[in-house]
Amino acid sequence: MKKISRVRWLLPAALMAQPAFHAAYATQYMSLAEAQKAAFADAGEFRALPPLDAAVANELGAPGWSPQMFEARTVDQRLGWVIVDRVIGKAELITYALALDANGAVKSLEILEYRETHGGEVRLPAWRKQFVGKTAQEPVRLDSDIKNISGATLSSRHITEGVHRLLQLHQRVLRAAG
Amino acid sequence: MLRTSIPLAALTVGLLAAMPARADEDTLRKELDALRAEVGALKAEVNQLRATSQAAAPVATTSATTSSSGAAPATAAAPALADRTVASTPPVPAASSGIVAGDGTRLWGYGELNYNHPSGRGADAQADVRRAVIGFSHAFNEDTHVYGELEWEHAVVSADDAGESEVEQLYVEHQLNPAIAVRAGLTLIPFGFLNERHEPTNYYGVERNFVETAIIPSTWREGGVSVLGTTDFGLSWNVGVTTSQDLGKWDPTDPETRASPLGAIHQELQQAKAHDPAVYAAGNWQGVPGLTLGGGVFTSKVGQGQKDFLANGARLTLGEVHARWEPGPFDFSALYSRGEISDTEALNLSFIGNPYPVPKSFWGGYVQAAWHAWSQGDSSLAPFARFEEFNTAASFAAVPLGLGVPPAETQKVWTVGVNYYLTPEVVFKVDYQHFDFTDLVLGYGNRFDLGVGYQF
Amino acid sequence: MLTQSVLLLGDNMPSRIFRALVWGWLASAAFAAAADEAAQPPTPASLGRAIFFDATLSASGQMSCATCHDPAHAHAQSNALAVQSGGPNLDVPGFRSVPSLRYMTADKFFFDSEGTPTAGFNRDGRASSLLEQAERPFLAAHEMANGDAASVTAKLAAAAYSDDFRTVFGSDAFDDPDGAFLRARFAVEAYEKAASELHPFDSKYDYFLSGKVMLAPAELRGFALFNRPDKGNCAGCHPSMRGADGAPPLFTDYTYDNLGVPRNVEIAANADPAYFDLGLCGPERVDLAEHTDLCGAFKVPTLRNVATRQVFFHNGTFKTLRDAIHFYVRRDTDPDEFYPTGANGVVQKFDDLPLEFHRNVNTEEVPYDRHPGQAPRLDDGEIDDLIAFINTLTDGYDLATDTADPARNVPSSH
Repeated sequence: MKKISRVRWLLPAALMAQPAFHAAYATQYMSLAEAQKAAFADAGEFRALPPLDAAVANELGAPGWSPQMFEARTVDQRLGWVIVDRVIGKAELITYALALDANGAVKSLEILEYRETHGGEVRLPAWRKQFVGKTAQEPVRLDSDIKNISGATLSSRHITEGVHRLLQLHQRVLRAAG
Repeated sequence: MLRTSIPLAALTVGLLAAMPARADEDTLRKELDALRAEVGALKAEVNQLRATSQAAAPVATTSATTSSSGAAPATAAAPALADRTVASTPPVPAASSGIVAGDGTRLWGYGELNYNHPSGRGADAQADVRRAVIGFSHAFNEDTHVYGELEWEHAVVSADDAGESEVEQLYVEHQLNPAIAVRAGLTLIPFGFLNERHEPTNYYGVERNFVETAIIPSTWREGGVSVLGTTDFGLSWNVGVTTSQDLGKWDPTDPETRASPLGAIHQELQQAKAHDPAVYAAGNWQGVPGLTLGGGVFTSKVGQGQKDFLANGARLTLGEVHARWEPGPFDFSALYSRGEISDTEALNLSFIGNPYPVPKSFWGGYVQAAWHAWSQGDSSLAPFARFEEFNTAASFAAVPLGLGVPPAETQKVWTVGVNYYLTPEVVFKVDYQHFDFTDLVLGYGNRFDLGVGYQF
Repeated sequence: MLTQSVLLLGDNMPSRIFRALVWGWLASAAFAAAADEAAQPPTPASLGRAIFFDATLSASGQMSCATCHDPAHAHAQSNALAVQSGGPNLDVPGFRSVPSLRYMTADKFFFDSEGTPTAGFNRDGRASSLLEQAERPFLAAHEMANGDAASVTAKLAAAAYSDDFRTVFGSDAFDDPDGAFLRARFAVEAYEKAASELHPFDSKYDYFLSGKVMLAPAELRGFALFNRPDKGNCAGCHPSMRGADGAPPLFTDYTYDNLGVPRNVEIAANADPAYFDLGLCGPERVDLAEHTDLCGAFKVPTLRNVATRQVFFHNGTFKTLRDAIHFYVRRDTDPDEFYPTGANGVVQKFDDLPLEFHRNVNTEEVPYDRHPGQAPRLDDGEIDDLIAFINTLTDGYDLATDTADPARNVPSSH
């Protein structure tokens, strides 16, 4: 069975960092469980939420849009949410996980699967860190409060739009839900 | 199953226990809501489990066969199921990004149509389908793709027409791990800003800038093998071994060689002479969002070992550095590139008297500033200005008896204009270019241009 | 030594047997050697060579191809006559000067995509191949004057190599006169294509292009003038660079040009003032008669070995290379140096063309783009340098002595 562990080396002086992955596919950067744990180390449970109402999905995104939503909970408290969504990069889908804290502000943005080499710069931690703290009230827009990545325009735009959409989703649906 | 059955049981018991007691309407309602939510959650879980159980079988099997030592087979099933992201929900179709042509196959494309009007020379005004490109990719599995781009220039291709149709890229790519991929085939050399990302929505101005066409011969592609990757601290790197140019194609009577030295001797993997391999290395650092610093070096012998050729020892080395900074709505960039060709003395001796011998060095650089001044919805407007300087024959190797030609004059171009993005993938452009020279190939300087471009 | 030792052997039986064996071995070796030389089977090319040098194939019995195309003179004429005379008594004058047969490669004549006349054999390109070209000299009244194919075939059948002819083409090769004549020309073509002495590429310039020798300063300066589009611009029609495939240059682009060279009164036909040799549009070539814009244009020949020539241009009007270059450079600045002046004192420029075709003459390409009063594109010193360079195009270059002789690489026995 798969060993769920990963050793990541950061060698500031070296030109290459060599993460060693044991993923089933080379395009899987991080598993969902890893992303959930990384965002909410204290959570005992990640409760799957019901799929979106079709009308809401259609209005916020597109017909058939159905992001996977999980509530991060301890025994008596909701810590936040982890939402898994997919957008298109240049030609292939990008699967990412957005972690929101209890107030609906972004805790982290992780790329779970990136299936092409074009535009992979969106995986850079420095770029993703820009989203931390964003709420639905903020523009979350490329070239506005989110800086572009030269050479990854398509993927950075689509991910930014995706995060914006998920923040609206939280505002509309998740905040109210029990 | 255990996880969900306990709360369900508890709820049922609780409800049953609570039933005989006097139930306030409010309490009842609250409890009904809670029930509804729980049932909904249960439904979702069941759906998920049903879907993943279909995917779980192959996943579990592969996990079993690829397990590393120390893994506990018993507990693997549950985490595996939870780990797998369900591939059943479609993504939001973002603003038209590619066409799904079949399972794993995608189509994309871009094109530009340009109009040039030289100042004061209306008879030379020209409108042209500069290029129409269709790109495709197919995923053989999650880690292995083929990419291709096919291009048509100048609208009509035939023996009597000016158009060209070409295979611009064609390569197989395999992801070794999330950080490193390998490519084999006809790929773009990762130099500068334009060569890899030359879609009309990706640059300012109607025409591509001179430095990245005359010095770095965009769209520059070679055949070979390359390895590329990214690091977490922001470096993307790309190294490769490829084919190179053919100096035997140099025609000292052809002004094209003065307009773009490397463009005149490129092979484009068209029955390319492949005696001399090139090596290149390029990188981009984007550790700070909004900032890009990068560069690259390409070197190769370019005589291609031909019988009796007088420059089999000639070596081309081309280097470039570039920087881009995008604070807020601004977009500043700068690039410098320089090329040198060694061992041209004997070949140029056989070209004596002809106007365009092989240069020893050529260089170019530009600075550019753009401002995303206005946006509304999907539309935005970006005025820009660019200053370029370049010299395609900055020096020559020495020729006896003073029979050589003098170095070319450094040429300067100013471009000012506006890119109007109707959507981020449809752009209308207008600009004015001021030349301080008469372009050899164009035959004129100073022109007003309009352009339409798209990308999907 | 072997024979001595054999002779010294005694007279007993073993010695006799041994002696017989040795003699036998020597004799068979000698036979084998003799047979080797005669054993090379004849090929079309070897037949073609024999035909090329066979003077019995002419009405006079004294003219072969080699008579006018002398191998020792770069396969061109060995005298300074404007045209040669043929016929049964070698007294019928010709119409055009003899071109060198070296480096004769081309295609069938055609108009290229821009309408430029290109390729073909003969000075007006009317023969589509060497096979077709070989026909006229055998039959023409002013050349070998055989009159018809039957006459040629009869002479072939009586030639020393007639057995070889039958070996190559079949025992009935002479039964059909037209067929035999065709095969003879086929053999000549095979020889012309295969003979290395017709394409030696061993001039000083070839050595220079391979990096084996450096040109002398005057030659280098002349080379620069040859190539410069604003000076000699010779490379405009006589390209000096290797082909895209690395093939050495032939110094012709296979097109045609009208230079308006002066009329040559040495040519007997020119005694008739109504006679004009108009090249592409006639009188020898007939299929382009309506293309009046082509009247007066003749094929651009190779410049290899041109320095060995004794007459220049299609009508042999100039006798030295220097005179020819002077004409290029000063035709329009000093026309009185080349054309006769009429009774009214006006220079009769382009006197070898009817008046209506004067406009066909090339007056736009360097170096003959000048107007009276302008300086010629080349001065005398530059012409000296240019001549020095053109001399490097002569075959048979010898590195040790820095001399060239087109006879050097011609095989002695034919």
